[in-house]
Amino acid sequence: MGDAIVGIVANPLSGRDIRRLVTQASVFPTAEKANMIRRMLTALGAVGVDRVLLNTDLGGISASVLRAIGQRPAQAGAGPDGRWPEVEFLDGHPIRQTAQDTVDAVRRMVAAGARVIVCLGGDGTARVAASAVGEVPLLALSTGTNNVFPAVREATVAGLAAGLVATGQVPAEGTVSRAKLLEVRAGGRAETALVDVAVSTERHVGARAVWDPATVTQLFCTFAEPDAIGLSSVLGQLCPVTRHEPHGVTARIAPDAARQVLAPIAPGLVVPVGVGEIGRMDPGSEHRVEARAGVIAVDGERELTFEPGERPTVRLRADGPRCVDVPVVLAASARLGLLMRTRQ
Amino acid sequence: MTQTAEGKALSRERLLSAYRMMRTIREFEERVHAEFATGEIPGFVHLYAGEEASAAGVCINLDDRDTIASTHRGHGHCIARGVDVGEMMAEIYGRKTGSCHGKGGSMHIADLSKGMLGANGIVGGGPPLICGAALAAKIKGTGGVGVAFFGDGGSNQGTTLESMNLASVWNLPAIFVAENNGYAETTSSTWSVASDNIADRAAGFGMPGVIVDGFDFFAVHETASEAIARARAGGGPTLIEMKFTRYYGHFEGDQQTYRADEVAHARAELDCLKRFAGLVTQTGELTRADLDAVDADVAVLIDQAVEEAQAAPLPTAADLLTDVYVRY
Repeated sequence: MGDAIVGIVANPLSGRDIRRLVTQASVFPTAEKANMIRRMLTALGAVGVDRVLLNTDLGGISASVLRAIGQRPAQAGAGPDGRWPEVEFLDGHPIRQTAQDTVDAVRRMVAAGARVIVCLGGDGTARVAASAVGEVPLLALSTGTNNVFPAVREATVAGLAAGLVATGQVPAEGTVSRAKLLEVRAGGRAETALVDVAVSTERHVGARAVWDPATVTQLFCTFAEPDAIGLSSVLGQLCPVTRHEPHGVTARIAPDAARQVLAPIAPGLVVPVGVGEIGRMDPGSEHRVEARAGVIAVDGERELTFEPGERPTVRLRADGPRCVDVPVVLAASARLGLLMRTRQ
Repeated sequence: MTQTAEGKALSRERLLSAYRMMRTIREFEERVHAEFATGEIPGFVHLYAGEEASAAGVCINLDDRDTIASTHRGHGHCIARGVDVGEMMAEIYGRKTGSCHGKGGSMHIADLSKGMLGANGIVGGGPPLICGAALAAKIKGTGGVGVAFFGDGGSNQGTTLESMNLASVWNLPAIFVAENNGYAETTSSTWSVASDNIADRAAGFGMPGVIVDGFDFFAVHETASEAIARARAGGGPTLIEMKFTRYYGHFEGDQQTYRADEVAHARAELDCLKRFAGLVTQTGELTRADLDAVDADVAVLIDQAVEEAQAAPLPTAADLLTDVYVRY
């Protein structure tokens, strides 16, 4: 299992945007992100992962993990904390404090042979990590705001699942499933989304988050779950689509529409959203953005502005990232008795 | 409490006004940088170049009811609050025609008539003043807010932390703007700020804390306008952390041996004025000609300010005994 490498990328800036101010979105302190990684290292060590690659950051997460490693007693085998894998910090590259840092770190992890990549962040971080992960299985854990794609899950349990897949004890087949993806194209630029694409009448990317449904005119979703948070929850209540169904769903959004859905479009914000015509998105089919100009938000964050004549399009793709399904992995582990030990 | 989409939209006039503010600050600082090198300006100056979007994005949301308090690096806040540029330049030159009659200098420019409580020689000196101003606004029911600008160094001062506590306890209409330019004098904030993100401290005081790209006028404006609207409506204080880089040293003459050359990248790729110009011309909200006209106006304004300051008289010995609490 010498090649059982797991990459962990944590976004130091997730969970800090304007939604702390305009809604009551949660704050995920740096110290807790570092603690999650420590708990995950314990779990990864317990199932035999030898090496972990961790991104470096200027937000204090990697520094905190480095400190924790220094404070641990020498690798003493079984104990309350158990054996940790060797941790290699991916330093030596410039840190820009932008999403590019996540892309760079994930690429380096892929190149170094990581078998699973865990990302800590919100939907935005998962989206960026997914764009660079290629065929390596991704496990997205929530430390952000709108957490539809990444799961809110105990890091120890996620670490066990990541470790069982990375070491090959649980086969990827049936426990790692491919996600859908939305591809937006506007005037030569392209973006992807894992959950939703929203077209907004705002003129600028500005504070990025979308929390005012009156500005949204069109919505595209890879999946729409009735218990989601964020814009996809609107269609989750009207016409749910699961993550595993091949199609997606799109709708026109209009404040004065007869049909209104009371939806949790951001943490602490439950508002009526007017929904017009609803359509199915089949894989590969191209859908036009109807507005002449505005901003396109991917997974809840305004990302692209477009001008008259650019005529953006949105396409559902079936070739999204391969994602580790934590409950399925641990169910397989139970069937195979992988965590069973006999007392000597 | 969030504002409506209409309330957030920036009119052509507001966009021009924002650009004028930022361009005036930039030209003012670039000129002070050049003039300081001649040795004609007494004392120290700390330049705000690079940070313009913070002052402009916040202050464009303020009106006559509101008060701000500033820092060592205060020229940008003064200009964004409408302090007369000629009087500011004269003050920096130590002339009698200055905002404080030439007796304060760069670090003490104040204009109470503009709700500008002053640049401040004390690190962390502004936030307590703003609690007072915000308390006054609250008691009088004016709907006014107080905005305290402070740096990453100031964020570690007891005065700042006590002020955030008091503002929360009394639910004051106070906005705390942490301008994190990466260095407190020569000390990196990644080393000196224990929580790494200054905004993280807001949770401990029970107020919202937001991190904003301080190079992006639109992000700053949107965040500040929400925080200010919330404070005016009785929603209480907010902490906003701007992340950016200053273009010059801590003070003029600082050799900056403590930092790698991050300024060239910031000037080329992140600059708030370039970014603003790119965005508004792309959307067609303003044209390049609109912006060029502002640039030309501002160039004349700054030339005039320097010429007048250089020609203005110095204070006399007798002026030492005016504007003081105790007469000798």
